[in-house]
Amino acid sequence: MEQIFSYLPLMFEGLEKTIILFFITLALSLPLALPIALGEESKNKVVSFIFKTYVFIFRGTPLMLQLFFFYFFFPIVLNIRIFDDFQTACLTFVLNYAAYFAEIYRGGMNSIDKGQYDAAFALGLSKRQTLFGIVIPQTMKVILPPISNETITLVKDTALIMVIGAADLMKMTSSIVNRTNDITPLFVAAVIYLIMTFILTIISGRLEKYFSRYDERGE
Amino acid sequence: MKHILKMENIVKEYEGNRVLDGVDFSIEKGETVSVIGPSGSGKSTLLKCINGLVKITSGDMILNGSTGMVFQHFNLFPHMTCIENIMYAPMKVKKISKSDAEAKAVSLLEMVGLSDKRDEYPNHLSGGQQQRVAIARALAMEPDLMLFDEATSALDPEITGEVLEVMKKMAKDHVTMIVVTHEMGFAREVSDRVIFMDKGKIVEEGKPQEIFQNTKSERLKNFLGVVLNDYVPQDTK
Ligand SMILES: Nc1ncnc2c1ncn2[C@@H]1O[C@H](COP(=O)(O)OP(=O)(O)OP(=O)(O)O)[C@@H](O)[C@H]1O
Ligand SMILES: [Mg+2]
Repeated sequence: MEQIFSYLPLMFEGLEKTIILFFITLALSLPLALPIALGEESKNKVVSFIFKTYVFIFRGTPLMLQLFFFYFFFPIVLNIRIFDDFQTACLTFVLNYAAYFAEIYRGGMNSIDKGQYDAAFALGLSKRQTLFGIVIPQTMKVILPPISNETITLVKDTALIMVIGAADLMKMTSSIVNRTNDITPLFVAAVIYLIMTFILTIISGRLEKYFSRYDERGE
Repeated sequence: MKHILKMENIVKEYEGNRVLDGVDFSIEKGETVSVIGPSGSGKSTLLKCINGLVKITSGDMILNGSTGMVFQHFNLFPHMTCIENIMYAPMKVKKISKSDAEAKAVSLLEMVGLSDKRDEYPNHLSGGQQQRVAIARALAMEPDLMLFDEATSALDPEITGEVLEVMKKMAKDHVTMIVVTHEMGFAREVSDRVIFMDKGKIVEEGKPQEIFQNTKSERLKNFLGVVLNDYVPQDTK
């Protein structure tokens, strides 16, 4: 039991990987999802078909399968080794989460009243100004709750990358348990995951409150 | 006289459905024109053709200047305060400085009688107040032609007056405006000219007196009989 302190450094090493994966996924997939959402909504049938297919595939297959796919795809199919395990994990997570976020953005944008677009047009605002000044800020209130949910799911999903050998918190924990026959590290890992999701819950609560400040009820 | 807008033989079709059927229309600087007519006659579509919200199918249109529009449901930006709503387009589209935009917005809020609401969000305002902010927002772009699409139809009867007052004031100040309205009182008292539309055509057009007292067409007589409970057509001898 006291041995746990000797394992903690190893676990924190894994935690670092987990946290990096988490932030890279968020930092890249959140912006990447915007062009995907706009592509899905494109009037050009070919463009929207391509983006809808992308989203369909990434949302419709297990993340673990996608991890294996990219893990083998580059070395076996393309015969190149450009990504290590962890980079492969990052790539897969970004592509996967972008698909989920794109669907959330799309729902948010479709929730905006058509009158908002008319008013923006009548005032002479460009498409770009309308998107970034009018549509996206109003979408925030609608998309934040589902984004928070996905973000919490992401914390837990990061544990999947151990299947391709990346040394994240889960991988470190399970190998310690394997070696020592002591399951205490599992509890420690559980607490660490809980702390992360707890922090996220607080942040998202704050953000939701901020973006709902113009509600009828809120003040 | 200088025409701000001249439309000739305008046709608008939605998937073969002819909504505007050869409309000839023009308006001079400083004129207030009311457009009346039954639901579905193409009044909103006419306004949308003028400001480009919809593309005309055929016909010629010359527009000398910019337009501003006031909508039935206000369409204020809910995530901005009143003053931000008014300042946004001048700053983004005309690139005027924040302080100039603010000074302008302050004077417009005063004009519509809402100086005390400058930092409120639209959802905290009554419908009549929201519509007055929407008018100020449109005016901030200094349009050459103002379009009103049933600006008071979504309001409770007891508060339409405060919006109509602002519109009257604008008409008196010779703001050029086209007012689609169900308010026959406004059309009769404030406008220089009234247009009656039915089934995508301008059926009758003239000074308020000609329209309301010396009605010519049967269709307009019927329409006025329905919307005005005190309407007695004066039969032509
Ligand atoms: N986007 C659209 N697509 C197809 N048909 C449309 C569209 N917009 C309007 N229409 C049709 O065009 C006709 C005229 O509509 P419009 O809104 O111009 O009438 P209106 O005179 O403003 O009526 P109301 O008094 O009810 O506002 C209607 O029959 C309507 O169904
Ligand atoms: Mg209409």
